[in-house]
Amino acid sequence: MKKFTHFYSLTPEWQHHLAKEMNGELIDNKIIVIPKSLGQGHSYFTQITPGISVLLMDFVLNESVKINRIKSDNQLYILHFDLSENANVIKINNIDYKIGSYDNLGLAIIDNKIESSFKPAINKRTLALRLLVDKKLLDGFLKNHPSEEFSKRKIKVPKNSLYYYDNIDSNSILLIRSIKDKSVFDINFNSHLKGISLKLLGNFLNRYENSKAVENEVSELEIEAINKTKTYLLDNLYNPFPSINFLSEMAGMSPSKYKMLFKKSFSSTPNNFFIKEKMMLANKFLQSGDYTTLTEIIYELNYTKLSYFCSKYYDQFHRKPSDDFIKKI
Amino acid sequence: MKKIEHFYGTDLKWTKPFAQQLEGKIVGNFIIVPESIQTGTRYFLDCGDGIIAYYIDVQYNKNLQFIQKNISNDFVGIYYNLTDGDAKLSANNFMKDIGRWKYNLAVIDGGLESDYEVKKGSRTLALSIFLKKSMMQSFAIKNNIYFRDIDKITNPKKNTIVMLDRMSSDSFHILNDLQKLKVGGPIFDLNLTGTVHMLLANFLKKMSANRIIIQTVNKDDLNKIIASQMFLIENIKEPFPSIQIMANMANMSESKFKNLFKKITGMTPNAFFMDNKLLHAKELLESKQFSISQISDDLNFTNNSYFASKFKEHFGLSPKIFVKQL
Repeated sequence: MKKFTHFYSLTPEWQHHLAKEMNGELIDNKIIVIPKSLGQGHSYFTQITPGISVLLMDFVLNESVKINRIKSDNQLYILHFDLSENANVIKINNIDYKIGSYDNLGLAIIDNKIESSFKPAINKRTLALRLLVDKKLLDGFLKNHPSEEFSKRKIKVPKNSLYYYDNIDSNSILLIRSIKDKSVFDINFNSHLKGISLKLLGNFLNRYENSKAVENEVSELEIEAINKTKTYLLDNLYNPFPSINFLSEMAGMSPSKYKMLFKKSFSSTPNNFFIKEKMMLANKFLQSGDYTTLTEIIYELNYTKLSYFCSKYYDQFHRKPSDDFIKKI
Repeated sequence: MKKIEHFYGTDLKWTKPFAQQLEGKIVGNFIIVPESIQTGTRYFLDCGDGIIAYYIDVQYNKNLQFIQKNISNDFVGIYYNLTDGDAKLSANNFMKDIGRWKYNLAVIDGGLESDYEVKKGSRTLALSIFLKKSMMQSFAIKNNIYFRDIDKITNPKKNTIVMLDRMSSDSFHILNDLQKLKVGGPIFDLNLTGTVHMLLANFLKKMSANRIIIQTVNKDDLNKIIASQMFLIENIKEPFPSIQIMANMANMSESKFKNLFKKITGMTPNAFFMDNKLLHAKELLESKQFSISQISDDLNFTNNSYFASKFKEHFGLSPKIFVKQL
């Protein structure tokens, strides 16, 4: 196994050292071509805006290599997006994190203060994109878009391990994949890569801004269906409860899904919701002064036993029906 | 008709007089314009490197005439314009219809006085990029791009650049993606700068390839091909209508139709149709309102697995994984 060490900075100088050590050719301060003895491919580094740089690694290695990144004074976060064919390993404090390929998580955020090493898989294509972002800049973005989730995780994760570890979202995958077929020697590669990097960062920040809202998303069609059954219940308060099966069929869902969604929308089960509305109506009847006896009212609302009605009424209002009753004179 | 005389440039000096002309004001990076003239957003951003982006997503409530008289001529304006409605661009020796289905990409030298007219009720999504000529040149040299007569093009004394064209479908979708985002704030700024860079990448590729095809095609033929493109987009949910029918609609022989279509759009009719269908499917998936089979049925795919395989072929990941990781 060969070992290389390097450090990162936002400016391209750091590449000289690494290229020399690897025996690779450095072109135009941007591209390091991997020597034939190690494998085939290259890396591409460019500065995008002050505070943001990007490093693209695209190679197939035929010898195992360990790339040690030593810490440097630059206050940076490293956002590592990995779309390799096989899982690569990032080692931080002797803990191996698998990253990339189909079944592993593809996004890691590492603090430049912490040393890490990267071991790409052998004989498989490694495609990884690293965004180097100035700490102040990223913190500024996050401050402007306060997101609980992010700050929570910040505390949860032990200080010396990975800062963050997650799936790459679909749109970002598509963006990174679009680089896959492009040659770094293309004339428009530089601006294309810049564009993609900025969009990736945008997606990343967006994801954390919206992370909460996305979780409990219910489609509009479903909400409409649930509302339909709710209106049905409200229109049929004089009848007995129509049964979950009937309602779920009306909404075009399975009973269990229906119950779950109903509870999510109205924070009450369909039956409890129905009884509650019934009792509100009963309360109105009681105070209307149109009835001579309680029994009349409970028959109107399709109850057969007065005692059952009284107990339900008491559950909701903590009063007896007779307390609210205004008799017809 | 309201006349607005204004100038653009590669710094932000133009914004204030421009806003005043539109009876509006500047708030942050927005140009706020009263409802009587337009509804929607106008947003500008300095992308660094001598590039200014100006994003417009508005509905016009008044007939407007923009007269562009620039103070300096050291820049080039690249205008991506997707207008639904009536819009015309004229300069000293030409007058062209602008819009999503007409010319939707214009490159105009800052030194040239131009006149842009837009009718009430038009809906415009546009992104203008102002790029320093010196930047263009240094960019070309840095990246070893060979422009034909680059010196002449970028020398303000010798030449003025005017080019009208149709943007590639790639650029169109990049622009469309931008429209989905909420305007304003640092995240939008990142995306906007990213979009500008990607569009410039596409644009430079086009420039260097120097394939200005549109000017070499007969105007009637061009309109017919664009009309058939429009027809395909309007019927994106249906099955592919067959070359024969489309060639008939365009009054061409099948082989002529196929050749011209490919020449103008760079794709075969079927590939163009499938591309747009899949992008539409992707948008539907993103909305999270439909299941995969609903979408596949809605877009008239024969079955789910065919849809999934096509989707995977195009985007590199299956619809299910795509939805899961949104």
